Formats: sequence, structure tokens, C-alpha cells
Amino acid sequence: MKKLFVAGILAVYSAAAHAEYEQVDLTVFGMDCAPCAHAIHVSMKGIQGVNTVDVDLNTGLVTIKLNPGNSAAMSQFNQAVEKNGFTHKDVVIIARGKLTGTASAPFFEVSGTQDRFALVPATNSMDIAALLGQTVTITGVLPQAPKGKVSDTLRYNTITEAQ
Amino acid sequence: MKSIMVLVCAFALPGIAIAADHGPVFSYATPVNSQRELSFDTSIFGRNGSQGTQLSTGSGFGYGLTPHITINAFLPATFGSGSLPESRIVSGSEWSAGVSWRFLHSVTSVGKRIESTASLGVVVPGPQQDSGVLGNLHRAPGVAGTLATGLASRSQYVWIGGGYTRFAEASNDRRPDTISWSGVYGYRPAKLRRGYDQWDYRGFAELTGEHTGNVRTNGLILPKSSTTTLWLGPSVLAIFKDVAISGGVQAPLFRDASDAIYGREHIRFAVNFSYLKYSAHTSSH
Repeated sequence: MKKLFVAGILAVYSAAAHAEYEQVDLTVFGMDCAPCAHAIHVSMKGIQGVNTVDVDLNTGLVTIKLNPGNSAAMSQFNQAVEKNGFTHKDVVIIARGKLTGTASAPFFEVSGTQDRFALVPATNSMDIAALLGQTVTITGVLPQAPKGKVSDTLRYNTITEAQ
Repeated sequence: MKSIMVLVCAFALPGIAIAADHGPVFSYATPVNSQRELSFDTSIFGRNGSQGTQLSTGSGFGYGLTPHITINAFLPATFGSGSLPESRIVSGSEWSAGVSWRFLHSVTSVGKRIESTASLGVVVPGPQQDSGVLGNLHRAPGVAGTLATGLASRSQYVWIGGGYTRFAEASNDRRPDTISWSGVYGYRPAKLRRGYDQWDYRGFAELTGEHTGNVRTNGLILPKSSTTTLWLGPSVLAIFKDVAISGGVQAPLFRDASDAIYGREHIRFAVNFSYLKYSAHTSSH
């Protein structure tokens, strides 16, 4: 009984520890020069859990890769862009989290954060009923939201059971 | 329509924004610090005329309160004696402090933005006395307002701006009011549109102008002490991450000033060094 309890705790811990953003790609508008990009780099690196940040000035693409077990929230990435006087458009993410809700109204929760998104298919709808309650890896797009806000909808491209 | 409004505002309003640490050296421009960014500038301005050369060096500090509001202070010191007219484009011996507000910020696409910045500040006499006719005046503080508007992009920069400074009276003396204006065009060649981990260069053509009112001394207007000048010249800005170095030189295009009072001013030059300390702080969720 004791072993079962420990195994249960470990399973829950394991699921939580592996629920996080793995990669966040933002297209930032308004950066014209090297200090702009450097400011974004510094701000993103200041977010706990961020591993690498790459900024391409000519495309505006900011690619953030995160360490396993991080608890960075999407609002922090937003803030890092906006505090430097810029805006960003859609955000492409790769993230792990829990699939909740129902098959007709699924949600994706990034554990360790308060981020919770309503899921809509980006193209063709997938049958995700079997994945409800599971920890999954999602790739998708968070549409641009008003300043200071994070979209509450995630347009997913793929959902797979997390390894 | 928005762009037209911006341009109209720039021409209609008096006064405006001081060149920032990663813009042109002489002209008014729109950049402000990002939130919690601390900037430090130190510069040397030179003015050479028929009555001598005047150098001023100064240190400026800026801090971004919000992404669009920066507070700043500038503490100059002067060397040499040029007996030159009042100038707000090239710093003199006055200490100043103020706030800049980027009230319009239109981000239109990757690498491009249109923005307008207004600044308001106080100017107080520093411990050093001016030279020439201005050196004989009792000095009092003044207020300065500036406005700049323009476009920044990966390839081109265009800013126009103007400023107005008015000094209070002291013992029946008053320094001349100053109206300043500038237009600047900047260009970054395609080969230099590189990654942010390499030096970033751009060149500017800067056109500046100033009109100074009459000097009042002992309650009387000093005849022919009003001046109007127009200056043109190139400048270059080089930036690597958090360090910026810029320099420029200007020659007079037009000059209406009394030679007897001020001599003939031949050239202006400036070198500026900036350090930009960006904040890594973001609030946790």
C-alpha cells in the first residue's frame, strides 16, 4: 500500500514536472536596431527557465527555448516584449500540459502556471477524446491578443501523448 | 491618416525631444528608454568661431519609468571661450532635468515604427559662467519643451522636431528665448542590416536650426543680439549591444548674427558615448 502511494505521488510529480513551454516563437514588430534586439534578449533571458534566446532583426522572429521543469508563463513573454516598447503578433508554441474539458470543448493546461487555453484546430479537427486527462505535447499558435493580454484560445496543429 | 496627424502635430506644436542615446547627435529624435532601462551618456560638443573655441562635456542619465516615459538629467561643464550665441542644440553650461513621453507609438510591421515624443524639462544655471555677452548676465532657470516625430526602420530613419526654451528674468537680465528645429535622415546600408550580436552602423544627414531672441541686460534689449542660424552635416552611429558611439560635424548653411557681438561661428562637432543597461526584470506570474 505504501509503495502504491509513493508510486502515485511520483507519477503526479512526474506529470507536473514535465508540463511546460518547451519553445516559444514570437514575431516582434518595431525592432529596428541592435539595442532593440539586445533589450529583448536580456528581458527574455531574465525569465526563469529560459535556456536560449535567438533574435533575428530582419524577420523580427524571437525564438525562445526553455529548460525542462520551467514554470514560465506566457504573460511573462508578453511583458518582456511590451516593456521594451514593442508588440508581437501570433505566438507559435511547443508545450506540454494536461488535456482537460470535454471532447467537444477541450482545454490545455500548462501545469506550474495559470495558463489555460481553449483548444481549436488550426486546420483539420482531430479526435482527441482518448487523450483527455492525459499529459500531451501540443504545437500550435496563440493568436495576437490586445496589449497586456494573452489569448485564451490555442489553435493547435498537433497533439500527441507526451513521452 | 495617422502619419499625417503626426506630421501636423510636429509642425503645429512648439518645442520638443532631445536626441537620445541611440539616435542622431545634434537633432531631435523619438527614442526613449525601455521600462527600467538605465542609460548613461557622456559627450563632448565643440563650437569654433572667430572669437575662440568652446568645448562642453556633459553626462546624461535616463531611466525608463514605463515603456514610453523616461526621466532624464544632463549635467554639462564647459571649457574655453567662444563668445557664441545661446544654443539648445549644442549643450552649454546649463544643467537640465526633465521627462520624455512617447505619446504616439505605431508599430506597423517588422522592423518599422512611427512614433512621436514630447519632452518637458527645467534648465538651471550650472556653476560655470558663460563667455561673451551671455557671461555678463545674471542667470535664472528656464523651462524647455521639445517635440519630435518620425519613422524608424531597418533601412531608413526620418525625424523632425523642434524645441523652445524660455528663461526667467534675474536682476533685470534675461537670457534669450530659443527656438530650435531639426530634420534628420538616416540610412543603414543593406550589408549592415546584420544580427544584433554584430556592430550596428548607420549614417545620418542632420539639418538643424536655431533662432535666439534678444538678450536683455539691465532691463534693456541689447541691439542686434538676436540670431538665426542653420546648420548641416553628417553623423555616424555605431552600436554594439549595450554600447553606442556616435559623432558628427556641422557647418553653417545660413547665419544671421552680429559679428561684433558673437563673432563668426564656423563649425560644430560632437562625440557621444552611451551605455545602455537593460532590465531583465519581468514580474512572475
